[in-house]
Amino acid sequence: MVARSLRAERGPLRRIGTAGVWLLVAFNVGVLGWLLVAALREHTAIFRDPWGLDSLGQFGNFVRAWSDSDFGRAAGNTALVAVGASVVVVLISAPASYALAKTRTRLSGMMAVLFAVGIGIPTQVIVIPLFALMQDAGLVNSLTGLFVLYVALSVPFTVFLLTGFFGSLPDEVEEAAAIDGAGAVRTFAQIVLPLARNGLLTAFLLNLVGLWNETFVALVFVQDSAKQTLALSLLGFLQTQQYSGADYGALFAGVAILVVPMLLLYLWLGRRIIEGMTVGAVK
Amino acid sequence: MAGKAVAAGTGARQRPSSVDSPRWGAALRRPGRAALSPGARNPLDRRRRRLFWPFLAPALALYVVFFVGPALASLWISFHRWDGVGEMEPRGLENYRILFDDSSFLGAFANTMTILVLVGATTFALSFALTMVLRDMRGRRFVRAVLFFPHIVAPVVLSVLWGFLFRSPEGLVNSAWRAVSGADGPNWLGDHLFAVIVLGLVWVNTGFYTTVIMAGVDRIPPDLYEDCALAGATGWQRFRHVTLPLSWEVVATAAVLWTISSLKIFEFVYAFGGTTNDMPPLDVWNSALFVYGTTFGGRSPQYQYGYASASAVVTLAAVTVLVVLLRRLMRRETVQF
Repeated sequence: MVARSLRAERGPLRRIGTAGVWLLVAFNVGVLGWLLVAALREHTAIFRDPWGLDSLGQFGNFVRAWSDSDFGRAAGNTALVAVGASVVVVLISAPASYALAKTRTRLSGMMAVLFAVGIGIPTQVIVIPLFALMQDAGLVNSLTGLFVLYVALSVPFTVFLLTGFFGSLPDEVEEAAAIDGAGAVRTFAQIVLPLARNGLLTAFLLNLVGLWNETFVALVFVQDSAKQTLALSLLGFLQTQQYSGADYGALFAGVAILVVPMLLLYLWLGRRIIEGMTVGAVK
Repeated sequence: MAGKAVAAGTGARQRPSSVDSPRWGAALRRPGRAALSPGARNPLDRRRRRLFWPFLAPALALYVVFFVGPALASLWISFHRWDGVGEMEPRGLENYRILFDDSSFLGAFANTMTILVLVGATTFALSFALTMVLRDMRGRRFVRAVLFFPHIVAPVVLSVLWGFLFRSPEGLVNSAWRAVSGADGPNWLGDHLFAVIVLGLVWVNTGFYTTVIMAGVDRIPPDLYEDCALAGATGWQRFRHVTLPLSWEVVATAAVLWTISSLKIFEFVYAFGGTTNDMPPLDVWNSALFVYGTTFGGRSPQYQYGYASASAVVTLAAVTVLVVLLRRLMRRETVQF
């Protein structure tokens, strides 16, 4: 009853607030919609009337971006490296997180803190030694090198996230498995991992989103245009436009190629992504 | 008022902990509880302990090679002059001395702090306001999803879009400006680029922090608000005495999270340079761009590894101090509910 009367409360402040919220929502949706529309319009039309709708239906924009500007190859590179690294980092981090969450010693606590500190180290602080390291290993300007870096740099966050997940799993099932005589490795692979698949999937998704959009590491470690990721292609495309004349239609088609896969993923698994990304702050 | 409301709600609800909600804090606090754990010496624990190192080793090896080693190496390199190819030449604290006379570093450092404080304060104020409005609004899930969306789009893309809005004369902002005032608007990207960047960062981050704060506020039992209504509390009193104290822990964690991630901001600023090789104008650099600009970035890279390392060390040290201060400052007695 009271809750209902609270809900019905309508001050002028609240009305302004509600209007403001919907304005923000309209803005976000508008920017996204505009991007998708512009990707299908002719360059001159966008330039003449950026907010109009004429000349819609220029699928040639996508063809030009995909083949002439190499977004196609970059999309392949990005998908390969981002998906591969996200899978591998989860495979490496899962046993470690399990060990940290379930071994209740002072040492495991200290290790958990050590990994957490890594989240606070920005990449630009360690990028110079990393570059020297990768150069010595002959892994600069190679997709393999990028893959290795993506896996390694995603370890602290993934371990941190998964330690929380494993910590929240009940011990009883494992105890039952132990009594039934299952070995520890088998218990982990056949009992614990399936139980934790929600957490593993979330960790995979968050890494995938992060690595798909990653730019800084790629910018430093990849120069060859054949090995570029999508974010680099977009930057490179901006550059060619300065010399050979702007083509906004194809530019926004390129942007769309970068954004639409994430948009679809978000429409499909948005709740999981949102909750996974915010869960750390809410304990 | 707060005390009364809190007392009324004490023990009212025990939140069920689902498998899906990890407790990061718990993971870190575990050692303290170890002694109390009754099953500490059962066979399961013994077996787990044997697996500790084999399970941990791969991740730990990667972490040591790619984080711990490089972090220490950065500190070491910062005491040298090095171009990455020749021999390292020791120069003591010289890099640091030059750094504090270098107006481009001081500018980048000031910009980093401006982003940290100004964008942070604006984002948190906005996020709280949005949370209060969204609390009992229809369609809140949809609104939350839309506001959160920029967080999963590549910062490069957001930067390109944001820049397009502020182009003159054809950008949306100046189109609106002309429609309202009849005159041409300012040259945003030329004359007010840093303001445009600050505003853009608020836009990008508000959705994320709104979601975080909302999740904290949602944990507050609704009966406390009913008590408020019965006691005739105003909206402000409700916010001041119930919402804020009870979501304080979440806000404090979010503030640390923001401090860390504000230091990592790179792409959103960088893409305003427009290309893979060109840096944006010097007066909008933050310290991440400074490191890149003095080493690999630009048309003729500088490769000042020692100098850049010193700047990275200074920034990280400053922010570490800030995080510690922030945690001190925001520490409150935890309100049980």
